Amino acid sequence: MKKLIAVALSTVASIVISASAVNAEAFKIGLSNGWVGSEWRTQMIDEAKAAAEKWKEKGVDVEVSVQSANVDVPGQIAHIRNFIAEGVNAIIVNPNSPTAFDPIFAQAKEAGILVIATDAEVSSPDALYVGIDQTAWGAAGAKWLAETLGGKGKVVAINGVAGHPANEMRVAGYKQVFKDYPDIQIVNEVNANWDQAQGQQAMQNILATYPDVNGVVVQDGMAAGAWKSIMDAGKTGQIAATGEIRKDFIDLWVKDKLNSGATVNPPGVMASALNVAVLMLQGKKLKEPAKAGQYGNALYLPIPFIDSKNVGDAAKQLEGKPGYYSYTSALSIEDAEALFK
Amino acid sequence: MAEITITPRTRAGGMRKLLERYPFLPALVIVVALLLLNGFFSPNSLSYRSLTGLLSTYMALVLLAIAQTYVIYAGDIDLSAGAILSLVNVAIVVLMERWGGGAGAVLLALALGLLLGLACGLLNGIVVAALRLQAIVATFATSIFFTGFALYILPVAGTPAPALFWRTYGGRLLGVPFVFYILAGLVVLLLVLSRTRLVTQLLAVGDDQQAAFQSGLPVVPIRIKGYLLSGLFSALAAFCITGDTASGDPLVGGKMTLYSVAAVVLGGSALSGGWGTVVGSLLGALTIGLINSVVFFMGTPSEWQNFVQGLAILVVLMAGVLAGRRARA
Repeated sequence: MKKLIAVALSTVASIVISASAVNAEAFKIGLSNGWVGSEWRTQMIDEAKAAAEKWKEKGVDVEVSVQSANVDVPGQIAHIRNFIAEGVNAIIVNPNSPTAFDPIFAQAKEAGILVIATDAEVSSPDALYVGIDQTAWGAAGAKWLAETLGGKGKVVAINGVAGHPANEMRVAGYKQVFKDYPDIQIVNEVNANWDQAQGQQAMQNILATYPDVNGVVVQDGMAAGAWKSIMDAGKTGQIAATGEIRKDFIDLWVKDKLNSGATVNPPGVMASALNVAVLMLQGKKLKEPAKAGQYGNALYLPIPFIDSKNVGDAAKQLEGKPGYYSYTSALSIEDAEALFK
Repeated sequence: MAEITITPRTRAGGMRKLLERYPFLPALVIVVALLLLNGFFSPNSLSYRSLTGLLSTYMALVLLAIAQTYVIYAGDIDLSAGAILSLVNVAIVVLMERWGGGAGAVLLALALGLLLGLACGLLNGIVVAALRLQAIVATFATSIFFTGFALYILPVAGTPAPALFWRTYGGRLLGVPFVFYILAGLVVLLLVLSRTRLVTQLLAVGDDQQAAFQSGLPVVPIRIKGYLLSGLFSALAAFCITGDTASGDPLVGGKMTLYSVAAVVLGGSALSGGWGTVVGSLLGALTIGLINSVVFFMGTPSEWQNFVQGLAILVVLMAGVLAGRRARA
């Protein structure tokens, strides 16, 4: 009799469980971040978590599981292995290497897991990239600079880490643009490793060597440092330089009326990727298959641009946020739905 | 095996004997404990498939830690190990692709990769031992040099490794995953090496360089040979990372250098030289891998993962040091 009751109870329980599973869709998504060196990455993860919360309103239960630590490439491969062992439905990764994950992503796909890379493109045919086009990012800043300088002048470039894929793409982007402006002369290009102090020092050296420089293409993470050197040298009015999207820089930009323009690499990219992932897990199909980019697996997101015309709006969005907070934008659930059939 | 007949007088004495004979025992206990913890929080992580995965992913760090061990034996250090790994990685991938990716091309590229690793080791050895520059700074400088060379060979990560190569590494042979053969081969190689005079000499130099010199040991050639071994094992580590990632990346090893040093210390070797085991370093590398997983499987919030990971490494380090100190006291 006892046994019978137990069987009956467990049957009821299993029916209840399966019924609730049918009523509310539930997905488990793993987020892997392999570098914790900047607030941008923290904000990226926080925004992705917030985006997962939002799905509750739509009756979809999205549970995120995060692995975020400073790891080497094998360490991040281990992240993916852990997610496979845990049995997630999808993995979203900000990868430490563009190419090193091909075999492990193939294994994830075999296990029926959707893999999406964000922020940096990956070569794996088993993954999808949802993020911005870094080449277009580099081109947008250069185009602004070329137009601001009226198509002529001496320009220097301060780049990030040599050999880093995003850096190489951004460099290719500005070179492509400057080709169309024969009167713009790139007098020097230096690497300052996406480091504010190195950016500031590089700019000092540049100002000492080329006092007549008119424009600077400097990537985010170093632009505030470069601008500090420009301001220290008293050349704020004579030089146009690209900027960045952190609140403290944007405040400075507004206050000192800098001649700047910033291409936005929003930390919201992971949130956008998450919304795309959930829709794909629901079985929806993209209107246009993701076939962009050098690896033919990219879905590029729009890249916002801040210049002196709309910097006031950007400052308003960031009001009340801490100084390290970045201007952001992400695909809302509705924006993402518009990409699907 | 004569020791077996000696019965330890007390428990503590027996423990000490055991630790003296197998200094890597604390590291082994820690690895087993971490495996159990992983299994407790996520039973799936102890599956055959997961363990094979763990091994194939961390084999590169294991080899890099062993590379590091031989120079640390002699009281030196090699901060260029990760850069050598990157350099050999891009070199073999580019060569394999240029030569068509057949079996012959793969083997020839691997042979050249080993030579390249040895050449890097030789350069380090000359700079540190013959020119007498401080090892920590000199190898930091050569690491920048090697990275520059790697970037020259392959400016951006990209070129895929031939399928033959990485499918072999990640695949099976006679039903057994290929990494287990690598592990078996490695154990044999380490056993052979541990019986050579070179290892004893390296330890003697590390223990007291002056005394070693005065007793007639050729200290400079010995230290150079230590760096040669380091270069060789860094190249072997590069083969594993190429097998696991199937591609070339000129920056892939940069972060691995300090992990390799950490693995050596976790394995019970002394950074000051003269004391240590390669088996300990092997276990130390696995410890790092297992700590990373257990921090996640425990459900640590993402903002605390780095903190907990660092704390866990410190705790393990402390446990190992306490056990080791008792053994040597």
